Amino acid sequence: MNSSGNGRMILNTYVVAVMVFLLLPIVIIVPLAFSSDASMAFPPSGFSLKWFEAALSRPEFLDAFYLSTRLAVVTTAISLSIGGLAAYALVRFRFRGRALCEALFLSPLIIPTVVIAIALTMILGQMGLLRNFWGLVIAHTIMTLPYAVRVLAASLSEIDRDVEEAALVLGATPARMLFHVLLPLLRPGILAASIFALIISFDEFTVTLFVAGPGYYTLPIEIFNYVEFYSDPTIAAISTLLVALSCVAIAIIERIVGIRNVFK
Amino acid sequence: MSARHAKNALVAAANPVSRPNTRRQLLIAGLLSPALALGIAVALTFLLMAYVSVQEQFPGPASFALEHYLAFFSDSYLMEAAWRTIALGAVTTIICAVLGYPVAWYLVMLPSRYAYMVFIIILTPLLVSIVVRTIGWTVILGNEGLINAALTWLGIVEEPVPLMQSFWSVVAGMVHVLLPFMVLSISAVLSRMDKDAIEAALTLGATPRTAFRLIILPLSIHGVATGSVIVFCLTVGSYLTPLWLGRGSVPVMALTVRQQVLDLGDWPGGAVQALILAVGALGLIGLFSMAVARMARR
Repeated sequence: MNSSGNGRMILNTYVVAVMVFLLLPIVIIVPLAFSSDASMAFPPSGFSLKWFEAALSRPEFLDAFYLSTRLAVVTTAISLSIGGLAAYALVRFRFRGRALCEALFLSPLIIPTVVIAIALTMILGQMGLLRNFWGLVIAHTIMTLPYAVRVLAASLSEIDRDVEEAALVLGATPARMLFHVLLPLLRPGILAASIFALIISFDEFTVTLFVAGPGYYTLPIEIFNYVEFYSDPTIAAISTLLVALSCVAIAIIERIVGIRNVFK
Repeated sequence: MSARHAKNALVAAANPVSRPNTRRQLLIAGLLSPALALGIAVALTFLLMAYVSVQEQFPGPASFALEHYLAFFSDSYLMEAAWRTIALGAVTTIICAVLGYPVAWYLVMLPSRYAYMVFIIILTPLLVSIVVRTIGWTVILGNEGLINAALTWLGIVEEPVPLMQSFWSVVAGMVHVLLPFMVLSISAVLSRMDKDAIEAALTLGATPRTAFRLIILPLSIHGVATGSVIVFCLTVGSYLTPLWLGRGSVPVMALTVRQQVLDLGDWPGGAVQALILAVGALGLIGLFSMAVARMARR
């Protein structure tokens, strides 16, 4: 009994250590954002808000934030529509080639990201869509689609098919069934998939680095470019703002669907 | 059951002429076509890449040449980068599995007031931009960073110790980014496990160690395998972490492929590297999955 108590304590300590390991690199940035020093030296010697001012008055960051947001919203809308239709077919029907389709939709998850990036650069270049908003939308849709299909399929498979048929039998048109029965029932899944797609698109780095260009830099790329040339705490300030944004996202997910359900 | 039959009868009555099969097929095709179009586009892209890889130059007039493959295999810098990529993927995967298993165990097997909070904290890094997380590591490991500040303050070192620019600083960053995926995969399998089987083994006199080795590990190996595949693929395909935490001294294929394409403008050479990376990663995963399947059967 005593030894199992000890084991429990060791495990608790271990889990705390892992949490520190996971949180430290994120939390460490926050004090530096309020530093009065000219470099990201640790520990900061004084308090100042000037780096937030510097970050928020840099037009490149604001433009990039605007582009990232627009891109994430458009990508999410397309990815969820396409993914929703595909998920419906995968969950509700048994047909030949179903496993192959599923593997194809999930394949961007196991192909090394940099390979997808090179491949897309090649084909978008051929199509004249490099350094172009719609080229970025295509790239981001490919990267978010696996998550949209997975989350929506999981959510759909928990809804009894009988509910749909009952509505149809009772005289609802398919469109009415879709908008008044199926979509309302799917709402938690749609929300979870949207948040997933929004975050993945907003944070996407590798593929975007290859296919984006001057005038079409998303926020992660703009931050990357800045870090390549400067090392002042402006970067800590903008990172802190992004971490705050992530915290808001976590709170929203937790409130609406529960984090656990999103990652099931 | 009978209610279901009754309902089916109702459906049949409502649709006196049962829907022809072709309409069903058209519906399925229609639902799948947008996603399929994207999927096929990606597949075609790989064909284009294979085509480019055997061209003498690209863009340019078509001319078959295997020289870019020969160049890759005879270039010691690129071959080293290839081996380093595999090593980075393997080391990151193993560390994630070893670090992540006890955490998944804690989350699933031990009911605790804090489990849910721990769960959220484990997942938090996934929702924070990878650029931000990597900057965080440079703040910890840099010459003016947290560890060097602490070491200097404690008087252990006089001059900052270079902690970045090494294979292991890249591993630290990769493990940090990918550990949540491993924990999720393992805890998903552990939570489906039949706790009665473990209980029975312990009641019948098995030591906890034996129960773990003979029952729990074989049953949870699939979770470890799924997590390993995800972690390995994401590691060998990642660009930012090796670039920033390696500072040029840890060239992996993700970095060399970009150099080849953007700095040297050598598309066929880049296509060769990208294809070798993709085929190599998928091949290793295939071998690994076969080994796991064999292990689970035993």
